[in-house]
Amino acid sequence: MDDLLNDFLAETAEILAEAGGAIVAWEADPADRAQLDAIFRSVHTIKGSSGFLALPRVTALSHAAEDALDQVRRGNRPANAALVTGVLGIVDRLSDLCTALGQNGVEPAGNDRDVIGALDGDIPEDAPFEVAGVPLRRDDDFSAELQSWRSIRVPLPLLDSVMTGVTDIVLARNEFARMLRESGADLSVIASFDRLSDSIAGMRQSVSQMRMQRIDKLFAPLPRIVRDLAKDMGKKIAFQTSGGEVELDREMMENIRDPLIHIVRNAIDHGIEPLEDRVAAGKDITATISVSARQSGNQIEIEVRDDGRGLSPDALTAKAIASRLLTATEARALGPKDKLDLIFRPGFSTAAKITSVSGRGVGMDIVKANVEKIGGIVELRNEEGRGLTILLRVPMTLTIISGLMVRAAGQYFAIPRGAVREILLESGDTVRIDQLGGGELATVRGEQFPLLRLENILGRARDEADDGDDRALVIVRPGQGQSYALSVAAIHDHEELVIKPAAPMIMATGLYAGTTLPDNGRPVLLLDVQGLLATAAIDASEAGRSQGRMAEAEAEAAAARNAVQLLLFRDMNSRVRGVRLSVIERVEEVPASALFESAGRVQAQVGDDIFPVHAAAPPDGEGTLKLLRLYDGRSVLCYPIAEVIDIVRLPDVVQPSAAPGLIAGVVLVGGDPVELIDPFWLMEQYAAGAPAPALRQPLCRLADDHDGWGGNFLAPILRNAGYRVALGDDAPDEAPDVLLCLTEEGQPCGHADGDVPVIRLRTSIAAAGPEDETVYRYDRQALLDALRRQVGGESA
Amino acid sequence: MMDKLYLIARIADTRVALRSRAINSVVTVGTPVEVPGAPPHVAGLFALRSRVFTLIDPHVVIGLPAVPVAPGQRVIVVDVAEHGYALLADEIEDVCFIEAAETRIAGKLLPGWARVADAMIEHDGASLLVVDPSHFITLPALKAA
Repeated sequence: MDDLLNDFLAETAEILAEAGGAIVAWEADPADRAQLDAIFRSVHTIKGSSGFLALPRVTALSHAAEDALDQVRRGNRPANAALVTGVLGIVDRLSDLCTALGQNGVEPAGNDRDVIGALDGDIPEDAPFEVAGVPLRRDDDFSAELQSWRSIRVPLPLLDSVMTGVTDIVLARNEFARMLRESGADLSVIASFDRLSDSIAGMRQSVSQMRMQRIDKLFAPLPRIVRDLAKDMGKKIAFQTSGGEVELDREMMENIRDPLIHIVRNAIDHGIEPLEDRVAAGKDITATISVSARQSGNQIEIEVRDDGRGLSPDALTAKAIASRLLTATEARALGPKDKLDLIFRPGFSTAAKITSVSGRGVGMDIVKANVEKIGGIVELRNEEGRGLTILLRVPMTLTIISGLMVRAAGQYFAIPRGAVREILLESGDTVRIDQLGGGELATVRGEQFPLLRLENILGRARDEADDGDDRALVIVRPGQGQSYALSVAAIHDHEELVIKPAAPMIMATGLYAGTTLPDNGRPVLLLDVQGLLATAAIDASEAGRSQGRMAEAEAEAAAARNAVQLLLFRDMNSRVRGVRLSVIERVEEVPASALFESAGRVQAQVGDDIFPVHAAAPPDGEGTLKLLRLYDGRSVLCYPIAEVIDIVRLPDVVQPSAAPGLIAGVVLVGGDPVELIDPFWLMEQYAAGAPAPALRQPLCRLADDHDGWGGNFLAPILRNAGYRVALGDDAPDEAPDVLLCLTEEGQPCGHADGDVPVIRLRTSIAAAGPEDETVYRYDRQALLDALRRQVGGESA
Repeated sequence: MMDKLYLIARIADTRVALRSRAINSVVTVGTPVEVPGAPPHVAGLFALRSRVFTLIDPHVVIGLPAVPVAPGQRVIVVDVAEHGYALLADEIEDVCFIEAAETRIAGKLLPGWARVADAMIEHDGASLLVVDPSHFITLPALKAA
């Protein structure tokens, strides 16, 4: 019974882990029937086994989930966020139950009506935030995983000993084969030996795979984590994984599981900005987090990239000083990279406030320690404001890779197949090789690559026996954005290779990533494709190499930029409206108390500025509210909203409104009508609003202001009208645009400067005569008109 | 008793005694696989029972010119820091118990030998250097460079 229970628990744990990811993937594409069937099968399996073991709660839960999914399969029920949340709730409860089962051996008592009830769905449909775009795993992957659920557990040392044993058998077989050939044995003996040989080869293949697991397995729980967290935090996140086919030692996998999950959580919690900040920063409202794995030389690289706010070295330093990890003096001595590395200090947490998500005492220091424990490293690539990439590099020791065998200088070398992009014959038509100032350049179908000759890098002469016609170019891509052509004497074949580290002094050459033993029993060195570059001291960066493609990419990017984007938001009266993104200067979040009513209209105080607000009355109550800041190049108008929803491309078809007003028309976005705000009309209503402070305002100088009338009475009016005022007779730093002369009538204005226009003010209301060009000092309109005629300033 | 067991061999043109507990086995090698770019004392790689061993030429470590590996030559296999190495031996003489105690090295040795020798021991009417095979793995000249 115990064995049965253990098998059930192990199996169920795996099924649940897989199912979480599968359910989220299905949510992203509810039409994916295969995904739905797979999820259905997995809950069905759990139900079946639990019934056999008499676990009523597990049975009831899986039955409920199965039932609901079956309704969907029959088309009686739509697949929506509520259903998915319900099913995920059941999956969670099942996990809890299994944990308890594993500890106590009995199913704990309890009631599951809450999660089962949630499934029946009295939950409001479509919660506002969903994870956009979840990786859809290929169907064949998923069915392969299904089969792997039937598994047993074997201690790793046993696997190791089986692996060495089989490798020994292979070597012995090779030895034996050679002896057979030399002894001129009977054909029938050779035939039966060949059969043996084939089965040994097959066995070796399977044994090689026993320790390895696709990294997919590590990625499987991530979509679920991202979905749940994004939902909790009100962020929109598109999550992608790639490189799931890379294989990694099971033990390594265990060691990087937690660090990886932690990094992804961190990215969602700290890295990705709130929606409003993203809009303000001009970013796509849907953030992207991508996790990718690839093989690079003797290492597996796992990259977690987000397009959030990145790390701010200065903020990190300030934080470290505040938490007394560092003194200010020490901080000054730090370089930019050292500052970023502060996040690896124990006790450091980047968020200003500890959130429920990542501030649980598990910090980047633990992540780093875990990765380093298995001989890996953690690298940060920070682009402040644009995102952070965290790279985990773990050794692929004991990993099995597909290697390309090449020959150079009379011996064989292996190149990791994953880094090989293309193989060409050097004498082929598509290849042109140019000698350039001592270096060589290979041009393949218009694309240029620096050319390295393997013999030269290794410091060996070419083997005389090699046929020049066999020489081949291997286009190697050692990492993202890098590529070069490696010229070798000949291509042999490719093989599955078990890579082991070479002795330290061999690894220290930087040329090799390890050793491997192919079937012929002669060791082969695995080339370090990245290290070769370093040894050859060549810049293999692809940037700027191929003009044509770059221009194309740029044109595409420009086209995307030119497309009109629409900001969707929920209005204060919870209507969905849209406005062209380009008229939005930024989104402000202000306390409700920042809005006040003055001179018959609502205004908002934002920082040191006051802007008009499009609202009938200031909002009641406390809290904060969001303001869209519309900017027409001169003035700002604030439009209060409840929340930002998304940024979409403005549809081509707009149904215009009958009369001009706040709503310019209606468009269909994703099948729903959205009212389009008319910024022209809005601005028109508030056109006399606050002048934008950024514009250069003309400077008025008041001359001969002896009694202070100019400073006290005139200057405020001028400032309101958008002029700057210089008082006094002291020599100004800046030449004024206009001079206002307050000199007594009949006296010449002593400050006139040939170039500066002068307006003279008179104290009497009546003009002295038809020739009198002075302006009566209390005639506001005439004064402002005169000013505008002279300098083109703004009228009040 | 194991402490008294020594392998008597001629390496780098000198008869030496190696403590048996430091030694994994003595085997013969075929043609090793060269390692281009490796330090000069690395004579190549060879496989033994699915493990890859790094072949070390003690001549180079001592400061003598390298000697080519002859097929069928015997090598002394040692494990250092979880990697397998093999020292090329000119000749393997004997494995024997030596009752005499190891003594401090008297006299001045060539620098190469001074680095690898731990002590001296008296055997069959001759003084032998007791060497630690792990000292052959690293190359002093490279470190200095």
